Amino acid sequence: MAATAERALGKATSRSGEHLLGIAALVALGVSAVMSLVVAPPDAVQGEVQRIMYVHVPSAWLAYLCFFVVFIASIAYLKTKKTRWDRVAAASAEIGVLFTSLAIVLGMLWGKPVWGTWWTWDPRLTTTAVLLMIYVAYLAIRRITDNPSRRARWAAVIGIVGFIDVPIVHLSVVWWRSLHQGPTLFRLGPPEIEGTMLLALLLGVAAFTITYAYLMTLRLRVGRLEERVAREALSPLVGAER
Amino acid sequence: MAPNAGYVIAGYLITALALGGYTLRLFARAREAKRRAQTIADRRRDG
Repeated sequence: MAATAERALGKATSRSGEHLLGIAALVALGVSAVMSLVVAPPDAVQGEVQRIMYVHVPSAWLAYLCFFVVFIASIAYLKTKKTRWDRVAAASAEIGVLFTSLAIVLGMLWGKPVWGTWWTWDPRLTTTAVLLMIYVAYLAIRRITDNPSRRARWAAVIGIVGFIDVPIVHLSVVWWRSLHQGPTLFRLGPPEIEGTMLLALLLGVAAFTITYAYLMTLRLRVGRLEERVAREALSPLVGAER
Repeated sequence: MAPNAGYVIAGYLITALALGGYTLRLFARAREAKRRAQTIADRRRDG
C-alpha cells in the first residue's frame, strides 16, 4: 500500500501533473468565488458578512486535512525511515500553518461585525490558536538540528502527538459552552444550511483541496531541490573526512 | 454598498494574497535552490 501511495505521489509531482493541478486550482477557486459571492444568497440574519464562511470553513477543514497528512506521513517515516515521508510531512505542515493562520484571520474578520470583537478566549478560538502554535513549533524544531535523520525523528514525534489537538478543536464547540457556532455539516441529523449555500460551501472545500494538492506538489519539488543542494554542499566535507 | 461588505472584501483579498503569495514564494525558493545547485556543480567542475 505504501508503494502504491508513493507511485501516486510520484505521478502527481511530475511537472505536467503540477501544471494541470495549477490550472485546475485556479479554475476551481474562480468558480468557487463566483458561487459564494454572486450565486449564494445573503444570510437571513447576518446579511452579506456571512459570505466569509465560504473561505473561513474551507481554510479550517484544509488545516485539519494538512495535519492529518502530517500525522500519517510521520507514522510512515518512523516505520520505514524513508526520507520522502519526512518531506511529505514537512510540506503538509507548512501548508497547514498557512491554512490555520488564514482560518484564524478570516474568523476574526467575521467575528468583529457579528460578535462585536476581533478575538475572545472562546474554546474553539483558543484550541485553534494552540493548534497553530504546535505546528509553528514543528516547523521551528526542524530548523534546530542539521542532522537529517534526527530532525525527521523529532519532527515525526511532534507530528503524531500534535495531531491530538485536531479532534479537540473540532469537538470544542460540542464539549464546552462556546460563542462559536456548532457543527453545520458533521452532526447528527440533516445539515442546517440552505441548499445553494451548502453547494457553495462544498465547492469552496473542493477548490481549496485542489489548491492544497497543487501547493503540495510545488512544496515537495522545493523540498527535493533544497535537500539536493544541502547534500551536494556537504559531500566534499564528507569525502574529506573519509 | 451593503453594510459590512468591507469585511467580506478584506476576507477574500487576504485569502487571494495568502494563497498567491505563498505560491510565488515557493517558485522563488525552487529557483534559488536550482541556482545554488548549479553554482555548486560549476565550482566542482572547475576544480
